Amino acid sequence: MARVLDLTSDVAAYGTRLLAELGHDVVRIEPPGGDALRREANGMFHAFLNAGKRSVVLDRDVAADRRTLLALIAQADAVVASLPLPVDEAEILGANPQLVLVEIDDGPPELCAFARSGLLAITGEPDGRPTLLGGHIPHSAIGLYVAMAAASALFAQDATGNGSIVDVSAAQCLAVLAEQVFVEYSSSGELLERLGSRGGITALAGALPCADGHWMVSVPPDPNGWANFVQVVPDPAFKDDDSLADEAERRERKHEILDRIALWSTHQKKDEIVAEAQRRHIPAAPVLNPLDLTRDEQLIARGFLREIDHPEFGRIHFPAGALANLWHEMPAPASQLGAANATILRDLSSPDGRGEPL
Amino acid sequence: MLQNLPLTGIRVLDFGHIVAGPFCARMLADLGADVVKVETATRRGRTGARRGGGASRTASGRTPLLAHINRNRRSIDLNLKTEEGSAIAHRLIDVADVLVENFSSGVMDRLGIGYGDVSKTNPRLVYASMSAFGHTGPRQAWTGMNVTLQAFSGMMLATGESGDPPIGISNSWNDYIGGLHTAVAIIGALAKRRASGRGCDLDVSQFECSVAMIGSLLLASTVTGVAPARVGSRSASAAPQGCYRCAGADQWCTISVQTGEQWQALLLELGAGGGSLRDPQFATLDGRMQHHDAIDAAIEAWTRERTPAEVEALLQARGVPAAAMRRGNDIAQTAEWQRILKPLGDGEQSVGLPFSFRGTAPAALTPAPRVGADSDDVVRDWLGS
Repeated sequence: MARVLDLTSDVAAYGTRLLAELGHDVVRIEPPGGDALRREANGMFHAFLNAGKRSVVLDRDVAADRRTLLALIAQADAVVASLPLPVDEAEILGANPQLVLVEIDDGPPELCAFARSGLLAITGEPDGRPTLLGGHIPHSAIGLYVAMAAASALFAQDATGNGSIVDVSAAQCLAVLAEQVFVEYSSSGELLERLGSRGGITALAGALPCADGHWMVSVPPDPNGWANFVQVVPDPAFKDDDSLADEAERRERKHEILDRIALWSTHQKKDEIVAEAQRRHIPAAPVLNPLDLTRDEQLIARGFLREIDHPEFGRIHFPAGALANLWHEMPAPASQLGAANATILRDLSSPDGRGEPL
Repeated sequence: MLQNLPLTGIRVLDFGHIVAGPFCARMLADLGADVVKVETATRRGRTGARRGGGASRTASGRTPLLAHINRNRRSIDLNLKTEEGSAIAHRLIDVADVLVENFSSGVMDRLGIGYGDVSKTNPRLVYASMSAFGHTGPRQAWTGMNVTLQAFSGMMLATGESGDPPIGISNSWNDYIGGLHTAVAIIGALAKRRASGRGCDLDVSQFECSVAMIGSLLLASTVTGVAPARVGSRSASAAPQGCYRCAGADQWCTISVQTGEQWQALLLELGAGGGSLRDPQFATLDGRMQHHDAIDAAIEAWTRERTPAEVEALLQARGVPAAAMRRGNDIAQTAEWQRILKPLGDGEQSVGLPFSFRGTAPAALTPAPRVGADSDDVVRDWLGS
């Protein structure tokens, strides 16, 4: 697989993690002292996002380190970098004309880009403050497009021998994901708005309180969906009202119906309601937080969460990643700062510059 | 420079429905692939749901959003429950590079076109199925939709502030995230195929895709034993950061102060209103974090007197990152929207990719076909008869 030099900021670090999950040799170039991810949230973002990558420390302000970087670029297949580039684009391409060079414009801060895109307008409680998606989810979304740009350019390079320069705009990545906001307005003149706990797509969808938290239900729009649903929620008002078999009618009375379901569910246990709904093919789910997920039996059974001996945290369930898990791989724990410096420099002086047999 | 888009010459069969599968196939088309949608006029899918543009119909017979999601492909009408339809499907699959489907687990097997069936005659096929939870594990048979996966994947309790009810995003967010992961996985699998000569079975779990988006929060929970705090729109590395109420009904502007210099510039703009904030304890990021509530109150007293556009312009002029909250009626004016909107060939505009290969023309956008519009064409083109 390809060797990728990772010069991304926190905005796109999930993108290069995905490249590592695909099996590429990702070498993260960090400044002395390490990148910002190592300092955020006690290093948890670093430990997840930089898993599967090697770490090399180079100081872009030091001429000798810039020369080393160019030597690494000459032996690499791809450079994935947040702007500004550490050395001129012309110098990079001079060092390696067949390179895949992915240049990322990180754009405005995450919250501001989210607001400009149209996504903020559809996130938050209807009468409350609009809110950013948590856990830097917007950054992960940007990373997905960065991975797509890099992986597809590498695929073409492997086939044709030709590199390419790919320009990625983080702000545009979020805008694309607000496509529904645009389509709704351009086709009907209506504005999508934030709905908090309630879904905006199917007529009857929402997170409702139950005795031990919240559960989420989405009643399928087809007539069978409603027929199955009234078997789950034993409310005579629903069973006796034939007009509710029609999705349009349910949309009209959406909040009234959801409020009524909540009156019932608030006395139920979420796992019991959800199991009964699933038995009747109704999409329902418990509303979980990240801690609940660390014990999720499906994630553990499929190997997405796998027990490893982590050098920093000891024996823990570590998230392999959605792509790594497709190949049943587990990315290596994130590297100590500069752990690969010695190997990389030794490899540079080998016959092929990569430490691999010619 | 690339002469052609990266996936030029790659044949993709789209057995997808609703958003996730067809959106994945659309990105492959935007990267140059030849995408054929297999569908039947007798099964119209869950068209009652409102997915952009309500239930109105476009020239393709699809709702507006599904017309956008299904652009850039040809359509063949095949009823897979008939012998003839099934036979043609098998022949198409045998000459395809990629198959994408997002039915519930088990449906493709029952149609006789599961991976086990079709890989016997086409071992080079990259077969991507995008079920809600994957084809293995205790919840393999469970059904999932966008909102239930938003809830299940932790996103709704990672968003909003402490004490808020679960908070989701009111579009098909999960479908996009599943589609994006699957598209990247397919490209990775095609690269592996070039080395090995063999395709593979990509058993994508859309649930895992959404959980992976907050992998760092899972890890933090594992290590600390507690769920991470819900911090609303705040940041660990910038303060103040927030969404502030402005003049007008439900009008908002975001502000994110990244540096001490920007903090000083914000104080200048606040003028007399920022008086109480000139205390030296606010000069550091830590100090501003500790007094975030008081700072927010002072900022909002100022923003409430101004429109979002005014707040944005005044602060940007001083180099302070600020952005008004845009809605459907005013997003298209931003630079990023101007760049992603491309003519769709039918007088409308659609959304392209957020990246470009320098010197290589992007795929021209073509409107979604009517169901079966290209049946003969596809058979002739792919099967030579």
